[in-house]
Amino acid sequence: MHAKEFKIRWGMVIDVDKCTGCGACMVACQVENNIAPVTPEVDAWAGVAYDASNKLRTLNWLTVYEINNKKAFPEYEVAYMPRPCMQCASPACVPVCPVVATDKNEEGGIVSQIYPRCIGCRYCMAACPYHARYFNWFDPTWPAGMAKALSPSTSTRPRGVVEKCNFCHTRFQQAKDKARQEGGDPNSLADGAYNTACAEVCPSGAILFGDLNNPAHKVHALAHSKHSFRLLERLGLGPQVYYYSKREWVHRLGDNYLPNEKKA
Amino acid sequence: MGLDRRAFIKFIVGGAAGTLFTPIPWKLADDSSIWSQNWSWIPRLKSGAVTADATYSKLCSAGCAVKVKKVGGLAFGVKGNADNALSQGGVCPLCANGAQMLRSPARVAGPLKKDGSAFKAISWDEAEALLADKLKGLKGQSGKVAAISGDGSGTANEVLSGFLAGLGSSAYYYMPSDQTTMAKAWNGIMGGSGQIGYDLEGADLVLCIGADIMDAFGPTVRNQKAIAAKRPIEGDKTVTLLYAGPVRTRTAAVADTWVPVSPDGGAAFALGLANLLIKSGKGASLGGFGEFAELAAKFGPDAVEKAAGVKTEALMTVAKALLMAKNPVVVVGSGSGQGGGVALAAAGVALNALLGSLTVLPEFPKAVSHAPDRSGLLAKDVVAWLADVDAGKAPTPEVLFVYEANPAYALPQAAAMAKTLDKAGLLVSFSTYMDETAALADLILPAPHPFERLDDAQSPYGLGKATYLLATAVAAPEKDCKSTPDFILGLAGKLGVDLGFGAFEDVLKAKVQAIGADWDALAAGGAFVSDRKGSAQADLGASALAKAAAAPKAQGTLLAALDHLNIGTGALATPPHALLTVRDTELYGKDLFVQMCAATAKSLGVSEGAKVKLTAGGSEITARVALNEGVMTGVVAAPLGLGRTAWDPFTKGKGDNVSKILAVSAEPGTGYSVWAGSAVSVAKM
Amino acid sequence: MDSKLFPEGIERCSLGKFLAWLGFIAIGLAWGGYAAGVIFYKGIGVTGLDNYFGFGLWITFDLAVIALGAGAFFTGFLKYILKIDQLKNIINLTVIVGFICYSGAMLVLTLDIGQPIRAWFGYWHPNVHSMLTEVIFCITCYCMVLVIEFLPLILEQKQLNKVPFLHHLAHQMHVHMALFAGVGAFLSTFHQGSLGGMYGVLFGRPYAFREGFFIWPWTFFLFVLSAVGSGPVFTVLVCTFMEKLTGRKLVDFKTKSLMGKIAGTMLTVYMFFKLLDTWAWATGVLPHMGLTFEQMFYGTIYGQWMFWTELVICGVVPAIMLITPAIRNRPCLLYLAGILDCLGIVINRYVFTVQTIAFPVMPFDKWYTYAPNWAEWAPSVMIIAYGFLVMSLSYRYLPVFPQEKGLSGK
Repeated sequence: MHAKEFKIRWGMVIDVDKCTGCGACMVACQVENNIAPVTPEVDAWAGVAYDASNKLRTLNWLTVYEINNKKAFPEYEVAYMPRPCMQCASPACVPVCPVVATDKNEEGGIVSQIYPRCIGCRYCMAACPYHARYFNWFDPTWPAGMAKALSPSTSTRPRGVVEKCNFCHTRFQQAKDKARQEGGDPNSLADGAYNTACAEVCPSGAILFGDLNNPAHKVHALAHSKHSFRLLERLGLGPQVYYYSKREWVHRLGDNYLPNEKKA
Repeated sequence: MGLDRRAFIKFIVGGAAGTLFTPIPWKLADDSSIWSQNWSWIPRLKSGAVTADATYSKLCSAGCAVKVKKVGGLAFGVKGNADNALSQGGVCPLCANGAQMLRSPARVAGPLKKDGSAFKAISWDEAEALLADKLKGLKGQSGKVAAISGDGSGTANEVLSGFLAGLGSSAYYYMPSDQTTMAKAWNGIMGGSGQIGYDLEGADLVLCIGADIMDAFGPTVRNQKAIAAKRPIEGDKTVTLLYAGPVRTRTAAVADTWVPVSPDGGAAFALGLANLLIKSGKGASLGGFGEFAELAAKFGPDAVEKAAGVKTEALMTVAKALLMAKNPVVVVGSGSGQGGGVALAAAGVALNALLGSLTVLPEFPKAVSHAPDRSGLLAKDVVAWLADVDAGKAPTPEVLFVYEANPAYALPQAAAMAKTLDKAGLLVSFSTYMDETAALADLILPAPHPFERLDDAQSPYGLGKATYLLATAVAAPEKDCKSTPDFILGLAGKLGVDLGFGAFEDVLKAKVQAIGADWDALAAGGAFVSDRKGSAQADLGASALAKAAAAPKAQGTLLAALDHLNIGTGALATPPHALLTVRDTELYGKDLFVQMCAATAKSLGVSEGAKVKLTAGGSEITARVALNEGVMTGVVAAPLGLGRTAWDPFTKGKGDNVSKILAVSAEPGTGYSVWAGSAVSVAKM
Repeated sequence: MDSKLFPEGIERCSLGKFLAWLGFIAIGLAWGGYAAGVIFYKGIGVTGLDNYFGFGLWITFDLAVIALGAGAFFTGFLKYILKIDQLKNIINLTVIVGFICYSGAMLVLTLDIGQPIRAWFGYWHPNVHSMLTEVIFCITCYCMVLVIEFLPLILEQKQLNKVPFLHHLAHQMHVHMALFAGVGAFLSTFHQGSLGGMYGVLFGRPYAFREGFFIWPWTFFLFVLSAVGSGPVFTVLVCTFMEKLTGRKLVDFKTKSLMGKIAGTMLTVYMFFKLLDTWAWATGVLPHMGLTFEQMFYGTIYGQWMFWTELVICGVVPAIMLITPAIRNRPCLLYLAGILDCLGIVINRYVFTVQTIAFPVMPFDKWYTYAPNWAEWAPSVMIIAYGFLVMSLSYRYLPVFPQEKGLSGK
């Protein structure tokens, strides 16, 4: 798979050793991106009753996984792993889309998702090993009145389309616009000029966001740290999201290894 | 010329073919792409200028400094306020829902009066008249008017408690929390003044005993910020974080070391550490040190292992780390943020005193001069009072005000407590939402949402410095609500109780002036932080502590109730958007999950997913078993905040309320109501 | 009453009996129609599909019927291009079965995609890199070919055939049928292959992924071969089922046996390459990804038993049975082999669809299970009922079986 080269590569470094799994990022993400809460019992009449506790039916662009070292008490350890869209260098989802509803073509390397184009075949969901893609099983419904003021950043989506994290793409546009207005270079944004909602809200500072290609951005050096790794690196998708941990077992859970295999 | 069959078919076929050469099918196809994106029933975005106003969000118990984002003047989201010293740009998982909770389906639309089993809308004037009439006859009768507050930091408490005092009642209580337990220990038993603080910013080692500082204890966002600042992603860590408690909590998840300590063993563990510190030559200038040292000496490593399940080696390692550290800070509390013993709180104070890191924040001057002192009120025991009311040992209140609290749901042995609350002649809830207490109340006088009102916070418990914050109304009112202190001031005026102010804004202005802060800076989202220190003079209270620490160890399976901020607080059910953050090992469908390790499950004869009944304190809950090796053997961990009976369809009937089985007992020596680490019986269903 | 419409010289049951039969079929159609209505009105959230199982019963059903419908193109190819004349006895049936399978699959797809109104985007905004685009184009084109192949048979209906124009049209179409058969074979080879490629290219899904050569041409031809290794016997099974149902002999056993031989040969070739492919996958692809063969299976529902059933009991065994004349020439063993063969292919399509996405690729993730609910079963039943309907009408009114008159004596 030939990966497209970009001058700017927006990416994240997530410090797994810092994340407390509080969930503020997940809430901020939903608010920023107009993800409606799962309305309970809305479809009871059709024989389907479920709520947000059924994690296989929720829409959460950012999911905080709880991982553990699989040991018994008291050696047991846990860590929390926020999982946005990886914005892979060679996305598994892009080549499979029959209608070009998702693409990795814009400077910055963010994998787009064009809701009005998506036909909802879900082939991309089958392709993505990170489960970063979500499907609108129903039309979005907010409790009465809650949709009175939605976030102006993200359009609402109808049922039947796939959606996913886009690194709060509107913020990227706004940051570029701002740079232009202030006479700066929209292709060389300062560290922090463009930040995602999850990184911004995180009380632990566990999510760092920036241009992986830009040495002036914190994430650049961190991504190259020996403590950084990417999820399922061996599959060759080349995620733009890095995880950072000093714990060996966390690293080992970042990819599949044969029982006696040493981590590369 | 007739239209025969053949001509008709020709017409249809020709017409169909001809249509293809018109724009019609192409336009329809094009339109279908647009329609399928813009169905009329799918909410639209609102356009307009995007602005952000700073305020202080009191949705979580400690509050977060936020900026409320608005589009066209309507609040739609929240972001952190990086300029505020308290939250430094971070937001907790509850306050992040702030804008959505303005339009929560659980909001109370206006004043309601119980009419049979339903509620009837009334006007604010009617409500005021009704209350004034009722209170007129109760003026001067002790204990006939009472109040329970869940707001541990607001000046509104001065208005309410001052009003009660004006009516001749001193029955003003705070909801139980780590703060009230510490107030009982520090301000009550130990005779100290001011408020215990924790200087995490200055610490190079933080030992949390029970206190889940990342999730449940104090201002979690500030705690997270303070620890994170000293643990840069690359470079040297300048703080060591140790967690001691029965469950690998979120604090434990990011701690350098987790020391499993049984749910009722915190005090013994702390005293064991104190013993080792004293043996190493540490001393404290607090009164009664000799007596305390004698007590601590009883907690040698063997005694600690027996009482707390901590191995000698682990205890020694922690003690050594404390001795090696330059600025160690010990934070004590209960994993559920409530119900911990005074013994543990006092032992925590003693430990900090021994380590030279005892921090006492001075109280800010009162604005309502004849309001009772806050620390005295905080040290009171609402659970014991309600038990007395139930037993007829204390007068049943004729009017019971409930402010920013949900005692019918959140007090231990909640079901019994709700029954006692229901005995009150007139139960008045000031809740913004239709919570369990509001549903039980005779009168609901909804307070505005935190973004719609003027409010403040003085040194939310857990901070290291005296801090004052102001919340201003940044969002247009969504419902017919009235600021509770303003309502009370109006009521006071009618009843001839002079609180010295006509409006709450004037109270706060006086407050701000009294503490020497700048109103405009505070209103702009700044925090007033004082470097003044409170007096650290107190007595170690060893005699009471000795009795408490000598209490027999609870037998059988112990319950470790956990307070997870994302699930909500007693006073705030899980917001709709926060439901995604609740794990399916905590709640799935209508089933609550309790966590235990495989060894515990085996000894209880249950397996993963098994349905169990948990019984304690005369009440029971049902749950399913989730195996979790992060829970100490012999302990069952259970999340608080679920099993709502009121609120909204998002939370009602989902899971069970663990508060129901928090079994209360009186702590020997202090008599204080405790329930952390109480025994529970688990039976397979 | 409607006997004037029957094929020349053939007897059919009474209209009342036939209507009762149609009524029975209508139950299935109505149930599926109701489900389809609910799905279009509410969205596919009413199904048992979820974020982990975006593909489920419907896609399995589609892939399976498309494989089993392959009898049409392959028999057409053998009859018209390779001129195996004996196949004329069953060629009409293969076309109808193919038509039902393909049109049925397309119907299910309109339910399956979240935005049916945008179904045409596949043609208007195609992504040439997507296997699914190839599938969409080929299936639609081939479905049209099947319509063209089906049309002369309809025109040969006794009354329609009296119209001179229609008669000549049918005749001319027959003359040029070799061309359509060729186009059909070409299109089918492509989309059957692309369907295999659809999974083979999922490089984030170790269960299905094959590298380089093992996608093209390997997986590609595995799917083609498995389809032609099962499609012909499926037609035989359909034919036999119709014979049992109607009590009339429709196709002579020699032709059926020939179909069995054709399928058996292809199945044998398929199994040879499939076993090689599986071996290469288990010992090469998986370890390279840090995974073991055992990790690909979980519990009972995703257990290894399914794997071995597919490859041995429903793969190697029917292949041997079908290429061995002594076994193949005994009707009940031929049918048994046919059933095993078809079952194996259905299992293959199922595991490629469901097990592929069930395997938790992230090491900290867990296996989830998928079970279709009523809203997925009902439309599937509807498609089967639709197949019964088309087949019943064709059987009653069209000259499907040239041998029927001779075999049944009437």
